[in-house]
Amino acid sequence: MENRNKGLGRRKFLKALAALPVLGGLAAYGAPILRFLKPNLEPGLGLPKGQLQNLAEMDLPTGGALPLGSVQEFKEPWSFRYFVYTQAFAQYTPQRSKSATIPAMAIKLPNKLSFPGFQQGKVETDIVMFSRICPHLGCIFNFVPNHKEVTAGYGGYTPPPERQHGLMACPCHLSIYDPADAKVPGRVISGPAPREPRYMSYEIRDGILVVTGAEPGGIA
Amino acid sequence: MNQLGDRLREWFRERKQKLDLFDETYVDVAQTNPLYTLGQIVYFSWIVVIVTGVWLMFWYEPTEAAAYNSIIRIQHEVPFGWLIRGAHKYAADLLILGILLRLYRMYFLAEYKRPGELSWIILFLSLVLGMISGITGYLLIWNQRAFWAAKVVLTTSIYLDELPIIGATKFGTAIAYIFLGGPAIGQGTLTRFYAIHFGISALCLVAVELYYIFTRRRRFLMSPAMILVLLAMIVATSYIFPAELGRRADPNRTPLPILSDWYFLALYQYVKYTPPLWAGLGPGLLINYGMLIPFLDRTKGRKLSERPFFATVGFVALTWYLLFTALIIWNVAVIDQDPHLIMLATLGAMIVGLILEVRYRRRQRAAEAAQSKPLRPPAGGRAAPSPGA
Repeated sequence: MENRNKGLGRRKFLKALAALPVLGGLAAYGAPILRFLKPNLEPGLGLPKGQLQNLAEMDLPTGGALPLGSVQEFKEPWSFRYFVYTQAFAQYTPQRSKSATIPAMAIKLPNKLSFPGFQQGKVETDIVMFSRICPHLGCIFNFVPNHKEVTAGYGGYTPPPERQHGLMACPCHLSIYDPADAKVPGRVISGPAPREPRYMSYEIRDGILVVTGAEPGGIA
Repeated sequence: MNQLGDRLREWFRERKQKLDLFDETYVDVAQTNPLYTLGQIVYFSWIVVIVTGVWLMFWYEPTEAAAYNSIIRIQHEVPFGWLIRGAHKYAADLLILGILLRLYRMYFLAEYKRPGELSWIILFLSLVLGMISGITGYLLIWNQRAFWAAKVVLTTSIYLDELPIIGATKFGTAIAYIFLGGPAIGQGTLTRFYAIHFGISALCLVAVELYYIFTRRRRFLMSPAMILVLLAMIVATSYIFPAELGRRADPNRTPLPILSDWYFLALYQYVKYTPPLWAGLGPGLLINYGMLIPFLDRTKGRKLSERPFFATVGFVALTWYLLFTALIIWNVAVIDQDPHLIMLATLGAMIVGLILEVRYRRRQRAAEAAQSKPLRPPAGGRAAPSPGA
């Protein structure tokens, strides 16, 4: 019995060895079936070069600078405004390109802090702008001017005394952000979010707030 | 090699004989114990879901622009649309509820033990498939609840890229793209969810039919009276509580109390408590753990008192499921403090379970030793069957 098993063992081993490329071949047949499911993220995959690769000028999505209003309108501390920024974003779809919209907000703070959303880098300002896409799982969060509403409506979190002012809070998983944090504007003070929300970059042109872009990066 | 193959084949042969897709081997028990009608209720509600689903397809328009309006039309204009849609929704709820209750029954009565392993795994898999059908199904309404549920679920998988080594393959992002059909929720997602929603049931139905044909078992074991009662319940529920529509999906606004369907609520609360990587990883591990339970639980007894540790695990799981569901409905989540309490309570319960298990086994061994001493039978009176052979 032992001997027979041993003799068969070698044959089995060789058979198993021979089976490996066969299995590999079968997997190679399976690969396109799986690849079929994943959408292309850039045009012209598998086509001769130049045929679909370049988006024509007219195909590029429009977007860009968005005038938001004059600085004078943001006088009161904790006044805020929601807006939707259209990002010029070449994204491959059946329509060949698309523009993405980012819900966002601008908040007037009572004190100045250094905010990174400027062309020249960090600048002292009391108007901050954030994308409203939650860096946790992509819901759209809100600005809540009264911190008591955060406690009442977002799971019962009570902010410490130094943060008892307007806060940003997400309805989905109750991440809470402090827009006025001096070190990290938009710092996560409660909830599961892994980072602060993306900032919107803007500039002031002749007293008009103009949104010019969004901090690059995905949801997290 | 050969022996392993033989043993595997033998393993499957034994389980296949006792395989129980919809409690069809418990017909006699079901006469007196309603817990054993659960399998048949699951099968019946599934058939109702499939039939009404095909009916709904006559009116439903799977496009971003028209989906929500077509649901309104089905609910309010199409003759008996409310009935077909209500029956589809409530039969689906009954399906999930039936699977859940049956899982708990199999767990607490230890029906997953040999030879029930395969039945348990298939039932667990059917819960997962049922939940996927659920989440793909309610996006088809294209309302706020569905939109944000889909957004959240498909974003969790992106965090899987943070895993060491396998994360570098970007498989999490690939999963998200495959289900989204693009970089964000849109027409591609709707089309794919429609295909998945219908496809799961269609393919499973073929599999179940093949099983019935090859095993020559009967399909329906319920009495006509019970079928009528169930149908009447579904019709009455659809009439009294018309299936909800919600608000049309708005990608620029998340409503403040935002909930998912009832069977996801506990999971939703869990996602609030954990870092986002664990939001995806936790449920994945939980599913794997659940499927492997027949192989992890090596105890021999079937009563709860004979396997105190796994009994504790079951009660802890049930408690958290119910408590998390309650907490999210009350909108309570103190994120700085709750997770610590939850971890402490779980750990405490597990330790108690472990102590009970050790004590039980020690007592069992003492009893065996006392029994075997005077007579000296061949090695161990009760624990004779060779393990796992």
